[in-house]
Amino acid sequence: MTEAVVETLSENDLDTLVSIAIRRAEVLEDVGSASAEEAWLEVLAYEERLAAITPAADIAGGIARAGAVHAALAAGRREDAERLARKFLSDPSLTPERRAAIERAIEEDGRRLAAHFPALAKTGRLSEVQNWRREVAKAAGVFPRAA
Amino acid sequence: MKLALHELLNVHVALRGHPIDYARSGALALARAGHSSPVRSVTEHDGRSGHAQIEWLEHDPAILGAVDEHRLTEDGAEAVALAYTHAIGRWLVKRRLRRGEYADWLLQMEGRSLALEVSGTTTNDARGRLREKMEQVAHCTLPASRMAVVVGFVQPMILAETV
Repeated sequence: MTEAVVETLSENDLDTLVSIAIRRAEVLEDVGSASAEEAWLEVLAYEERLAAITPAADIAGGIARAGAVHAALAAGRREDAERLARKFLSDPSLTPERRAAIERAIEEDGRRLAAHFPALAKTGRLSEVQNWRREVAKAAGVFPRAA
Repeated sequence: MKLALHELLNVHVALRGHPIDYARSGALALARAGHSSPVRSVTEHDGRSGHAQIEWLEHDPAILGAVDEHRLTEDGAEAVALAYTHAIGRWLVKRRLRRGEYADWLLQMEGRSLALEVSGTTTNDARGRLREKMEQVAHCTLPASRMAVVVGFVQPMILAETV
């Protein structure tokens, strides 16, 4: 679904779509599917839109903001997650509980990455994982195409 | 109290369009345990005992051979729990929550919110499971009431606890 289409959807439509997308992403994650990251990208699109149309102080808005940050992390887009977190945390109407949820998501992802790449974590080089992920995301495929 | 699983989409309109047919999952999970509609279920909510009559439309049992047993139990439990929470408090589905929120669903009713954690079991460990789920939903920090519901399918049973 394109961004333009997502922007036309109502909060109720987005609630339904994000519910379906979360369920799919979690099932794919459970079975270790390579498609899980893509599924989280879909969650990210809906959560971001929900965050844009709901007040930060509302329960729905708070869930969407923390959900968007988590989805970006789960999709391997840590830079996007950090950008979103900065944006959401700069809103004074965001509740302390939701601030903590966003910060917790970032910290947990950091711990998860450190557990996966202990040598890089030990030498303070975890950002290299992000650089690599960014390069891979830009490429059409993991392996270079011939001609 | 009557819990009509086949009415689930009429009650929770937010479930319309879901690829998972929760009502069918509930029906199949109960049929798999040897029950026919309607079945009488024991209920226990915050220590108060009662009963509910669960009704559903029959589905081809051949489907059971093609579904993941664990998922059927969980989806079936969600169907029963969502019917139950509407029956007791008119709660309606707002959206699913991701695991990090420590609850499965956000329900709403007249401006109030409920974080609902659901589990199903096909063994006799419903009470133990309820304790686990209460601990889990207790971690939910959303500004909402919190409830854990466990659905037992062997001896139909709905255990609910407000946390």
